[in-house]
Amino acid sequence: MQSIIILSVLALLAPLVGGLVYGIERKVKARMQNRIGPNILQPFYDFFKLADKRLVMVHSTHAFLGVMHFISIWVAVAVLIFGGDLILVIFLHLLSTALLIMGGFSTRSIFSHLGANRTAISILAYEPVLIIMAVSIYAVNGSFQISSIINSDPLLYKMPLTFIALLLILPIKLKKSPFDVAEAHQEIAGGAEIEYSGIFFEAIYTAKWLDYIFVYALVFLFGGSNYLLGAGLVVGTFIYINALDNSTARVDYRQMLKFSYFVALPVAFINLLITLFN
Amino acid sequence: MRSLQLLVLSLFALPPVAGLLLLILPKVLGRIVTILSVVALSAISVYLFASFDKPFQILIPEYSDKVVMIADVLLLVYFAFIAIKRKSVLVGLLTIGQAIALGYLIKLLGHHEGGIHAQFYIDRLSLFMFLLINIVSGIIATYSLQYIDEEDCSPYRKKFFMFTMLWFIGVMNLVVSADNLEYFFLFFELTTLASYIFISFRKDNESVNNALRALWMNQIGGIAILGAMIYSLSTIGYGTLSFQTLVKAAPTVGLLFPLALLAVAALIKGAQMPFSSWLLGAMVAPTPVSALLHSSTMVKIAPFIILRLAPAIKGTSLSLVIIALTGFVFLAAAISALAQDNFKRILAFSTVSLLGLMILMAAIGTDTAIVTCLILILFHGISKCMLFLNAGVLEKKFHLKSALDMDRLAESGPFTAFVVCIGFISLMLPPFGAFVGKWFSIEILGSTLRQTRGLTAIVMLAIACGGAVLSLLYFKVMGLLISRSGEKDKVTFETTHPLYNVNLILLLALILAGVVSLPFLLTGYFGPVASDVLGSAVAVDVQSNYSISIGTMNLPVIPMILAFLILPVSLFISLFIRFRKVDRVKEYTCGEKIDYKFNSFYFDTEFLLPYFKAVGLVFFALIIILTVI
Amino acid sequence: MFELKKFRKKSPWILHFNAGGCNGCDIEILACLAPKYDIERFGMINTGNPKQSDILLITGPVTKRTRERLVEVYNQMPEPKVVVCCGSCASTGGIFRGMYNIEGGVDQFIPVDVYVAGCACRPEQIIDGVVVALGILEEKTKEIEKTIKLANKPVVEEDGQVNRRNMPAELTYETTV
Repeated sequence: MQSIIILSVLALLAPLVGGLVYGIERKVKARMQNRIGPNILQPFYDFFKLADKRLVMVHSTHAFLGVMHFISIWVAVAVLIFGGDLILVIFLHLLSTALLIMGGFSTRSIFSHLGANRTAISILAYEPVLIIMAVSIYAVNGSFQISSIINSDPLLYKMPLTFIALLLILPIKLKKSPFDVAEAHQEIAGGAEIEYSGIFFEAIYTAKWLDYIFVYALVFLFGGSNYLLGAGLVVGTFIYINALDNSTARVDYRQMLKFSYFVALPVAFINLLITLFN
Repeated sequence: MRSLQLLVLSLFALPPVAGLLLLILPKVLGRIVTILSVVALSAISVYLFASFDKPFQILIPEYSDKVVMIADVLLLVYFAFIAIKRKSVLVGLLTIGQAIALGYLIKLLGHHEGGIHAQFYIDRLSLFMFLLINIVSGIIATYSLQYIDEEDCSPYRKKFFMFTMLWFIGVMNLVVSADNLEYFFLFFELTTLASYIFISFRKDNESVNNALRALWMNQIGGIAILGAMIYSLSTIGYGTLSFQTLVKAAPTVGLLFPLALLAVAALIKGAQMPFSSWLLGAMVAPTPVSALLHSSTMVKIAPFIILRLAPAIKGTSLSLVIIALTGFVFLAAAISALAQDNFKRILAFSTVSLLGLMILMAAIGTDTAIVTCLILILFHGISKCMLFLNAGVLEKKFHLKSALDMDRLAESGPFTAFVVCIGFISLMLPPFGAFVGKWFSIEILGSTLRQTRGLTAIVMLAIACGGAVLSLLYFKVMGLLISRSGEKDKVTFETTHPLYNVNLILLLALILAGVVSLPFLLTGYFGPVASDVLGSAVAVDVQSNYSISIGTMNLPVIPMILAFLILPVSLFISLFIRFRKVDRVKEYTCGEKIDYKFNSFYFDTEFLLPYFKAVGLVFFALIIILTVI
Repeated sequence: MFELKKFRKKSPWILHFNAGGCNGCDIEILACLAPKYDIERFGMINTGNPKQSDILLITGPVTKRTRERLVEVYNQMPEPKVVVCCGSCASTGGIFRGMYNIEGGVDQFIPVDVYVAGCACRPEQIIDGVVVALGILEEKTKEIEKTIKLANKPVVEEDGQVNRRNMPAELTYETTV
């Protein structure tokens, strides 16, 4: 009973933590560029400001799908925190992305359509690797349940290559350079999220924080029952992603797909084979 | 028991009788007869499933064997007639081959007295197929009453179309209950004949060519069944034509060749590469035909046969090759579909792909895999049926065939666009049944990795990639048809013919009801059917932590309920919801005020198709070679 | 008391619009974002999207071709919002004033809150102007601001929804040369 309360509190606080992560990220990124950078609580300032804007939208369907995107990603994160089935969690996350894509497609805006198209393609790039990751975890651990993965031995030592593959596709998932084609602020001005404003954009903005939680929770799983190792991995991944984001230029979506299918996927698959033949 | 047998017989007899009535009655009466008979068929199949307790056989008089024999010969004569009329060498040669095999079989049977008494065998799997066939095809039949009325052809041909459709439903009922392989062969060939008649219905050059292709490809399947019969009769240990005895005897005899031939017939019927082109060619026929072939009937013979064979081939090299082939087809068909623009062709490729997944699950043959296969068969049937019926509405009302022209459909036909979206989403996302199938199949493949080492790992990779490719494909179509400008916020629904609407809403309700009742379906429906398929009990239990366990798998209920509230419900709300206090502004296009024409991305994967077919052919050869050795 | 209003000052997102200038001021605006001046420390982001921004930074005089676009982009910004004219061209038309293709300063078409002088204006000046604008932003209400020189007003539909889709930028009087 007590654990359920703790988990519920964690799931409820997930957006808050995600906002903090985003704030720290902006600060770290600024320091890497030799800037001072915004306040760590900056995402929350943005949050409150957006809540105060006059409500503007393109049409109701579009606005509503944006809100549902936020709710569905929260559900995915909650199922992850409650220790559900890993594959189900991956597909619940796909569901939330699908709602974002459909929102993007539902307006007649070019940038929105381009962004939604590219988001759909980035699903193609990262989803197989995530599934292979889940199956490799099963091959090592004998369970798809996150609650039992988190209580097992650290996975990192048994599947380092899978972890590397995960690191390779994380920029696609978080829409970070060099694989930020789906968002591409300088090119398509944010992609699928462009038509949202005010409180509807707030939903998309907060969903992005939850995305951080989702991704870092996946990284944390590699620590298994060694929570210290998991936390170390999360911090390492955090620094790696920001360094990568600052130091690379955007590639186009074909290169992204090729990279994912010819580098990340084989790396993950080789690890799966190694675990099988051991 | 006696009354159940009679009910099953009525399932066989009612559709052709209704069809004959339809031929002589005037239009309105014919419609009433069709709808009544369809409702009766559905009611009978539901009642049968509800009151069934243990498998039974239907005994029919001895002389019916002779009738079947004569029907076989007549059918071959008709095929020969087609071959001469259409000047098709392939059909002719295959017909000659079939005739020779059939002659040899008759000679063998002459020596072989007795032992062939069980002609029809009804177990829960047959009843499961009855439910799917009668309810979904019934919906299609009601729908096509209106559809074929708008078709440009003579009144007699319209009636003939409906007649063919009805007797085809009867034949499908026969196929899934036949136990004697000779009977099975006849019904299998009758479905082939039906597909020929359906596909060539429009009588133009393309239709006839595609119909001939469907004919000769399925004739290969017929030859395979004949081969299986001859082999099994002339082999010591088998010596039987009964499906059940054959499957039960296989592990002790150890010769898988007849089973492999049956599997080949199934794979051809299931349009697995390289034999996918007959199903793709079927797109030239009127849309209800595609719906009928793709969703509940024709192609579902394939997973049905493999399910029947599953206990015998589980864990053998034969099942490994089938797994490899279907895993490959799942990915290959999904990739080929990306290059397509025609809405129906996109659906067709996705059918081929998902059929691969179903056959794969059946070939694995563990308890959870069988349950997954059944889930996929049922929910894929309903979803695909809805999508194809929608394709018909799109064609007749909106005059749309290509997915690229569907830009702004949400403005002119929001309900149609919504139903298409639900149809696509129900094939890939939680909480829908087909998604549960996909999810379970990944986990099942993951859990069989240890036993098969590398092989299923590659298949699993193919499934993971293929699933992602399929989602991309569905987004490609959905993206175009759900876009609408903000000029008008209120959605005004289009008016379509009530016969269209009622059937679509019925299918929509079936899909949503399927989601809501999935836990109950698993315990009370899929579980028992799977136990009958395997011949041993499949444990489907409700766990204390709000989840359902099927063998080693776990279906948590709470996330699925949440997903149900999010996805179908929110999509439905998004149609009606209006934020009144919110201002509407233009879409951001850098301040420009031009209206744009949108297009989806295009993948040039068409050139890969021949290679895919070649690989598929290699697998087919492997099936034969491995079992001969 | 917890007031949402005070957060406007803390996260002003800017939209940068070049109405037809020589790119001198644009370079200075970008310099503000670069490490030396780093306006992100005040929480500013260059969004590149009117629907999510609070401050409209305009450079250059309004030409015949950008007029409609300017008003459309202004329209798409949700209130409260402020407009800052960067440089003399945006403020008055500058050296381009009176040319055949120039309509004049930005304030002929949309209400301007802050004028930043200079050709080109220095980054320090821009930051100064934005700070003044933030003061104005905090005072503003959420009511639709009067787009004074627009011929068409927003349409209120029968169920109360405001339609701001078609508000063409037509002049109500001749530009003074």
